[in-house]
Amino acid sequence: MSRSFKIENFVSQFILFLTALMVLIPLFWTFLNGFKYKVDIISVIPKIFFTPTLDNFIYVITKQAVYTGLLNSIIVTGISVLLGGLLGLPTAYALARYPNKWTNDIQFFVLSLRFLPPVAVAIPIMIIWLKLGLYDTRLSLIITYLLLSLSSTVWLSVPAFKQVPIEVEEAALVDGYNPYEIFLKIALPVAYPSLIGALAFSFVLIWNEFMIALMLTTTDAQTLPVVASGFTQMGRNVPWGILNASVIVLSIPPLLFLGLLSTFLDKIIKKSLGGKISG
Amino acid sequence: MNIKTRLPILFIAPTLVLLATLALIPLVYAIIIAFQNQTLIKPDSSFVGLENFFNLFSDRRFINSLKISFIWELVTVSFTMILAIFLGILIHEKSSPVMKKFLTLLLLIPVLLPRVAAAFVWKFALHPIFGLFTYPYKLITSQSLELLSNPSTALYTVAMVDVWQWGLFFAIIILKLLETLPREPFDAARLDNAKTWEIHFYISLPMLKAPLVVLMFVKMIESLRSFDLIYVITRGGPGITTETLDMYAFSLAFIENGRVSYASSMAILMMILTAIIFTVIWKRASK
Repeated sequence: MSRSFKIENFVSQFILFLTALMVLIPLFWTFLNGFKYKVDIISVIPKIFFTPTLDNFIYVITKQAVYTGLLNSIIVTGISVLLGGLLGLPTAYALARYPNKWTNDIQFFVLSLRFLPPVAVAIPIMIIWLKLGLYDTRLSLIITYLLLSLSSTVWLSVPAFKQVPIEVEEAALVDGYNPYEIFLKIALPVAYPSLIGALAFSFVLIWNEFMIALMLTTTDAQTLPVVASGFTQMGRNVPWGILNASVIVLSIPPLLFLGLLSTFLDKIIKKSLGGKISG
Repeated sequence: MNIKTRLPILFIAPTLVLLATLALIPLVYAIIIAFQNQTLIKPDSSFVGLENFFNLFSDRRFINSLKISFIWELVTVSFTMILAIFLGILIHEKSSPVMKKFLTLLLLIPVLLPRVAAAFVWKFALHPIFGLFTYPYKLITSQSLELLSNPSTALYTVAMVDVWQWGLFFAIIILKLLETLPREPFDAARLDNAKTWEIHFYISLPMLKAPLVVLMFVKMIESLRSFDLIYVITRGGPGITTETLDMYAFSLAFIENGRVSYASSMAILMMILTAIIFTVIWKRASK
């Protein structure tokens, strides 16, 4: 028994080790390639040792197309998330604290927006923006993305507001706070850690969005994923180094939220799902 | 709280109006153009009734994309769930607290990556000439490994990238779900000398049935958004062997003559189909 246990243990550790490598190796490789000259990337034997260069990153940051893409991504994502929060957080609070007979239907409607196939929505939206003369502008992209940021913010913030102890809010009411003050001065600060998680999720969702951006932009408002994907379609002349560098730049912002989102995930599962299972 | 206030209306109405406008106008408009013969090239258009829908069923490329989408759903959903359950249990049982913390962070990375980035990372890693992951094969057989230009492996290779992102992410969720379970039934089972795998198969997985069904459902919906990966990695090729419904609709509307009406009728059909199938599965699964 103890011998077979040892083998089982060894095999398990080995599988876990392999799993970790499956994440680390491709990412590490992309990272390395960002600092290589083209000769070292298109080498038939993979090169671990090479003369590093910053050329690729300098190109990414100074080249007009990539720079514009980066700027567009920052502006479009930033404003969409901000507006989604400004409108969505009050909605989530009202849904959490003032339930009525429509509350469930409203929440289901918000969630069901995620079921819409993006193509079905993107084609008509493209025609609408073309007709309004707003096609390929940041404004039209931001408005379209509100659909994403608002629905995800509302959906994820309702549980966050429900977790605020109701006694605290009732005590504030007794102290003479009006409902709006309770929202601003009590509920928001108490639920703040979870709300940041919800907004970070909405940020990642929009920053990574590709299909809608591809359909709604051609040059001026192209976001970074669209610019980066353009490089991969260049056939034999793919600028591998620059492509690696722009993929790294593209991936950094969502990864900055890794710790935050991991904690957020923990809270959501342990408090809402976990409660239901054991209770 | 029992107070009379207009806060709910003020807080909910603007969001609801905005969401309804942003979702319903395009949707209604999509249905209208699906019954027309609009293209992006010629300015005028007229109503053609159900013509687009009839044409779809004699369009072999549409039937092909329907089949590809179905295989894609089946492969990505089942492999994601199997990998996630397997890894989740393995981490739960066999890793030290430090390792657990490390893995929960590490395995979350792939799903956070923009799909364009994940697609590129693997497209390059599997490159037949310069790829790191095709190198060992090349070294041993002195032949190149053409996974993405081979019609019989391309779809499954792209599906692997999807499972890499979602399977590892769901493994973390399942690990956290396992940690929320009460200890007593497991201690009892261990006293009865039950094997680890038996314990999970007969106790923890049945206890987690509801959240597992939710996870599967989430993955089914997310798998419908395969476009980004396929567009960057294969663009539907080789030939049309990786052309899913959304990839075909996109090609029609943007690459081939801007046939927006025809593409729209496809998207509408796809929406109705998924709504029906998902409702049936959801009702069955949540019984």
